[in-house]
Amino acid sequence: MLIREVMHPDPITISPDTPLCDAYKLMQEKGIRHLPVVENDKLVGIVTDRDLRLATSRLAKTPFDPSDKVKEIMSHPVETTSPSDPVEIATQLMRELKIGCLPVMEDQKLVGIVTSADLLDAMLRLTGVYRPSGRLDLSLSNKPGELARLATILAKRNINIHSILTYPENNNKIRVVLRISTMEIRTLAKELCNSGFEVLWPPHILCVE
Amino acid sequence: MRRIIYHPKYSNYDLGPEHPFSPLRVEMVIDLLKELNVPFNYIEPEIVSPDLLTQIHNKEYVDLVEAVSKGEEIPNYSDFGLGTADNPIVKGMAEGARYLAGGALLGAKLLIEGKANKVLQLGGGFHHAHKKLAAGFCLYNDLALAIKAMTNAGWHVAYLDIDVHHGDGVQEIFYTDDKVMTISIHESGEFLFPGTGWVYELGSGMGRSLKLNLPLEPFTEGDSYLEVINKAVEPALAYFKPDALVVQTGADAHFADPLADLMLTTHDYEKIYRRIFELADENCKGRALFTLGGGYCPRATSRIWTILYFIFNNIPLPEKLPDTWRKHWEKRLNKPFPETLHDQLPAFDPIPRKEEVVKHNKDVVQRLMDAVAPDWL
Ligand SMILES: [Zn+2]
Repeated sequence: MLIREVMHPDPITISPDTPLCDAYKLMQEKGIRHLPVVENDKLVGIVTDRDLRLATSRLAKTPFDPSDKVKEIMSHPVETTSPSDPVEIATQLMRELKIGCLPVMEDQKLVGIVTSADLLDAMLRLTGVYRPSGRLDLSLSNKPGELARLATILAKRNINIHSILTYPENNNKIRVVLRISTMEIRTLAKELCNSGFEVLWPPHILCVE
Repeated sequence: MRRIIYHPKYSNYDLGPEHPFSPLRVEMVIDLLKELNVPFNYIEPEIVSPDLLTQIHNKEYVDLVEAVSKGEEIPNYSDFGLGTADNPIVKGMAEGARYLAGGALLGAKLLIEGKANKVLQLGGGFHHAHKKLAAGFCLYNDLALAIKAMTNAGWHVAYLDIDVHHGDGVQEIFYTDDKVMTISIHESGEFLFPGTGWVYELGSGMGRSLKLNLPLEPFTEGDSYLEVINKAVEPALAYFKPDALVVQTGADAHFADPLADLMLTTHDYEKIYRRIFELADENCKGRALFTLGGGYCPRATSRIWTILYFIFNNIPLPEKLPDTWRKHWEKRLNKPFPETLHDQLPAFDPIPRKEEVVKHNKDVVQRLMDAVAPDWL
């Protein structure tokens, strides 16, 4: 599952000179909590509803004025992700940095935004493990015994399975992503193919010698 | 001064006739050198003790590896990644691995003592060996042992890993170390083993922004690969100013490699190796230790490492492969061999996604450079 599948494309943005009150109003209207700050097509910062509330709070030592500009309080430089990054990688980055959203960049242009809520949704469908492993992506027929048949082939080859993620696809098939402890994923894929499995990755498995 | 390190006992690290990490690959290189009438003079290293390996590995791990390698029954071997298809338990494997570690260590010593300026260790490169985990055909981290010897001598070391897989073990071992820069250029871990090596893995603590990863798109070709070296590795070395370079020269990014999906040709490897020698000259007075690594299409791997051997020794590359060598190995491997040392071009059909691949790799470089910029001031 990649970022491009879970991100919000074409996010609403503001300019560095937007007054804080306008940014706040925009968040209220659109029901969002993050606004990327863009100047001349370049991402220059990000501001969250929390940033706004803290900056203008009467409890702050010197509260900002609602007419002050966003550039005074925005966070920068901004941590970003790319559409082709898997969701679990972006999730880790956000947890490590304790941030709630990542702008999505392609060709150094802002093409989307992904928030922790999006990733939680994604993680409901996907879980990862952290051990050196290769990734095998299959589409299984939706009938009893297919997963067992798959697991048996792996067991015969003495390959340890670190995780199996499954989710239903639209075409009445079951998508299965395995993290397995092997470098020889392509020879395995060829055997699976010969046993009637639909292998989505690795591709070009026929070029295995 | 150039030195070759090798020991016939390297072949003891043999994980079985069906296993891709075969000692046959180096045997093919040595045989080819002989057929080409190229001098093959080498220094034999001493074996390292299990005790010495605890500089890198957890003692419990070393004890277990040594015990199972002697045939002792230890129930919890699988907790340490052993007894799998990739890392089977084979009698005597620990001894072979310790000879190989000894070779890398000797290479480091020759450089430190000024007895050599460049060392080629004909074997090893076990970059997937972790502190307490065997993985990806690797048992003991010979690279880390050599790097550690250099940092113990007060050196700053840049580790460059061109194996197609992420150099995860070396990166993990030096993740917080400010004396070691690790640079791994590999196929993206989106699908490929070991699944790590993302740009944001930058090191932590004192090691922050010194652990560099360049995860390339599957089907990356030579020009894009070289651009990555020029745009990322070159500035990294210029910034870090290492005292020596340690290079893992895995050959599994070749287009014919059955384990991965990059598309380098032998011509690309020649350019890459030459570029690495230049970088060593420009940044650390030429001081460099080369080990082998992955490479699982023996027909390609043997030619690539022969090219490395020639460049290392500054000998012009021959065009043709000797008939005797070719016929012998064609028969043994039951596969047709090319008549030339280099691949015939074009080596494969044009890659349909080429533009997308090049663009992705440029993005990766940009992302990495942006990420380290604040720390590289
Ligand atoms: Zn490799």
